[in-house]
Amino acid sequence: MNRYGFRQAARMERIKLTSVRSTWWLAIAAVASMAAVGAGVGLGYRSHTPVATAAQILNNSLGGAVLAQLLLGALGVLTVTGEYGTGMIRSTFAAVPRRRTVLLAKAAVCGGAALAVGLIASLAGYLGGQLAIRGTAIPAAHLGDPAILRAVVLTGGYLAATALIGVGIGTMVRHSGAAIGTLFALMFVPMIVVGLFGESGIQVGRFLPLLMLLNSVAVTSPIPGLFPGWISVLLMCGYAAAVILCGGVLLRHRDA
Amino acid sequence: MVSGLRRPAALPSVFRVIELRELTKRYGGRVAVDGLSVRVQPGAVTGFLGPNGSGKSTTMRMILGLDAPDHGEALIGGVPYRELAWPLRTVGMLLDAGAFHPGRSARAHLAALAASNDLPGSRVERVLRTVGLSGAATRRAGTYSLGMRQRLGVAVALLGDPGVLLLDEPVNGLDPEGIRWLRDLLRGLAAEGRTVFVSSHLIAEMALTADRLVVIGRGRLLAETTVAELSAGADSLEDAFLRLTSPETDYRGMEAS
Repeated sequence: MNRYGFRQAARMERIKLTSVRSTWWLAIAAVASMAAVGAGVGLGYRSHTPVATAAQILNNSLGGAVLAQLLLGALGVLTVTGEYGTGMIRSTFAAVPRRRTVLLAKAAVCGGAALAVGLIASLAGYLGGQLAIRGTAIPAAHLGDPAILRAVVLTGGYLAATALIGVGIGTMVRHSGAAIGTLFALMFVPMIVVGLFGESGIQVGRFLPLLMLLNSVAVTSPIPGLFPGWISVLLMCGYAAAVILCGGVLLRHRDA
Repeated sequence: MVSGLRRPAALPSVFRVIELRELTKRYGGRVAVDGLSVRVQPGAVTGFLGPNGSGKSTTMRMILGLDAPDHGEALIGGVPYRELAWPLRTVGMLLDAGAFHPGRSARAHLAALAASNDLPGSRVERVLRTVGLSGAATRRAGTYSLGMRQRLGVAVALLGDPGVLLLDEPVNGLDPEGIRWLRDLLRGLAAEGRTVFVSSHLIAEMALTADRLVVIGRGRLLAETTVAELSAGADSLEDAFLRLTSPETDYRGMEAS
């Protein structure tokens, strides 16, 4: 290699990501929150009548993803804004002056890490729910069942996409608080607005992250009117690509 | 060798020249750097002097491609910074003490930057020893004193064993011992044939450290000279500096008349 490139930038980003505590706390919190919600749901259904179905347990025990998406979204935001807030960004851009190489490296490293953590968290939610209903009449959900496995895997993918959206918003906004606020607002506000339109809101609602998560991604079968889970996750990846692209354009023209 | 580093690669010295051509930067209506044209040569410590707010840091950031000039260009060995194949191996920089994440250890900070330019881990340990931070390398950099932060900044600058060094106010926060250490280090680096460009508003320190001086005020070049030339005909370098910059200093107190 005669000059630096993506590979070098990605190694730098990997070291940076793993060498701050906030990364580990956010990852642990994401896994713990999903495990806790999963177990809570399972415990709640133990004495429930009529006896819950396997799908019911799974759908609800993945509900912790609502919290996990905020934590991993914040992780994505902080990989960028954490540098702007501290002045580290100037060291980074001095080391790798091609800023879009930095952005791509950040997206790849953070997205990869978030996918791994998201899958572990999703699995933790599933396991939490299953362990909590052991010894009851509720049927177990097996990962061998394609519908179950799909929901668990897609939830992990959705969480990774949320982190990537965080990277993009962080690049555009640059300030940690403002960027995390923007991310959270984008997750919740459109859903509240769409909720005002009742049933007819689903035409728009099926494009909204949180609605997709709860009704299309993290469920064994999507509710009518919503996209199949994998399309929802692809949509999320599309959103992520769009905001990262916008961030990349701004990055080029702004002073660091 | 004072720095404990090898001599810069046997490149012709022209590759270590910093050249500013009519460099100009505006923020809104205010001109921060105004048509600055300077050549900074290797083999000497060049002091970059000017009052607060005269555009020194903005100039440094433009040399590093962090801020885009509105007009003109900054070249290192004839190429813009962003075109460098291995930036950290060509140019070492110390920006304001704080261009690091406070939650990251000095060693991780250096390791990340080393990875970006394919520098071996041995360089990280080497520069940690050079700046005397080996014992504190695993501590979070946010817990460092101002002097230690400056030392970490110097370690970053030396990391790629570059032929060109840019240091923005490096003596800030250093104790007298640290100031002498840095002075010897910079003079040693220049004696090895490197280009050392150091900004400061401390004239007395520059009188001891620098060979050549670039003096600016309100973003404009006031003098490109040597320490000896500037102080000739004045009681001290400080007097000469103040005489040179007084029309350009915008925060002078109201004189009682």
